[in-house]
Amino acid sequence: MQNKLIQIFGVALTIIYAVFIVWLYATEPKSFKEISVKAEVTTGTYQIDQQKFDSGLKLFREENYRAARDEFARADSEKRDTRTQFYIAYSFYREGWGRFYNDDELFKQGIEAVNRVISIDANFKSDDADLKMKTPAELKAELEEGTERSASDFDPRKVVRERK
Amino acid sequence: MPFLTVGLLFSMTEKNRLRNQALLRCILLPVIFLTVALLGGLRIGAEDHRFIFVAPPLVTLLFAVLLLGLFVRGAMLKIHAWFSENYSPLVNFSHALTLITLFFASALAFNSVLPERGLFFWLFSFFFLWTLANNFFSVFEPKRFLISLIVLFGVAFILKHTIVAALNAPQESYWKELAQKIFEGVTFGAFNAPAYAPATGYISFFALLLFMFGLFLLPNETIEDEIKQIAETSDKLIEAKSDEAIDVIEDEDELTEISK
Repeated sequence: MQNKLIQIFGVALTIIYAVFIVWLYATEPKSFKEISVKAEVTTGTYQIDQQKFDSGLKLFREENYRAARDEFARADSEKRDTRTQFYIAYSFYREGWGRFYNDDELFKQGIEAVNRVISIDANFKSDDADLKMKTPAELKAELEEGTERSASDFDPRKVVRERK
Repeated sequence: MPFLTVGLLFSMTEKNRLRNQALLRCILLPVIFLTVALLGGLRIGAEDHRFIFVAPPLVTLLFAVLLLGLFVRGAMLKIHAWFSENYSPLVNFSHALTLITLFFASALAFNSVLPERGLFFWLFSFFFLWTLANNFFSVFEPKRFLISLIVLFGVAFILKHTIVAALNAPQESYWKELAQKIFEGVTFGAFNAPAYAPATGYISFFALLLFMFGLFLLPNETIEDEIKQIAETSDKLIEAKSDEAIDVIEDEDELTEISK
């Protein structure tokens, strides 16, 4: 009976340990702290750093978009929070938007960020009244249009358009 | 009385032996080999000391298959000692898990001493393949094979974690520049391999040591064979004790005769 218990315990321990090792190789945490963060992501208990998010939002409203992105990145180190990633994408849009021409590089980074939002939750809708585009689909369309070359780029009415 | 004592002793010894065998085969060995598998792919970045997990390349799985084949060939790993119709399905399954962990530990042990890419990776792989394949066709002696395995891992470890590591170190040095100039265009990225912190060498050393220890602990007798050995030992003990008892009885008879 004792041997049977040992065998059952051994099988369970081996499987759990093996799954843990495979998980480590798949998620590739960079430090011991990241192991616990990635475990939270896997188990669905991951939460952003609210203080850093609030600080990032304050910078966003002050139009200090680069600093805002830094704070948002620190708040959401795993890039799993839709709201934070949406603000990051929006900051790329606002910083890259120009009356005569857009910054393609910033817009491309914005597209990457908004794609992350879509991959996490395609039905996300922002409740921020300050933002004119509420959904990732709208933001993505605006960013993609900004990177495309077309005849409408030469339309003089573009000069009087408003940044969203 | 001596017979009862020996009988009890046999029963207790058998119980202890079976329990220890179960602990070894089902818990200790899988934990050792899984730890080797974990450490065999772990590297520490040189600049930021972050963890880097390097999955084993396909060639290390081939090396692991060859190594296990050589263990079977050299009777260091007897299949019938691990799988038998006489064992319960749970025992067979548990033993299968242990051997799977041995397979992956072997692959990751090779992974820990193989350079990540470039000319050195191919050179090291070739020498490993040559040595392992050669053993299949040469006159095989398990003891010599084990020694050659230790030497093989040892040399690869020294080459990777001292010489190759020094050449890939982030700090510039005269010898590094000279080596790069000599091998320029021929190295296929040997000098562009990622630089690792010295802790990587220590982790690899510990992983290899643990792997060798696990191989040393591998049992290659069936559980029935071990019980037979215990029974034979106890038979001899009973025979010795019965001879003693007969001698004691004869002495007592003599004493009785004398006293009459």
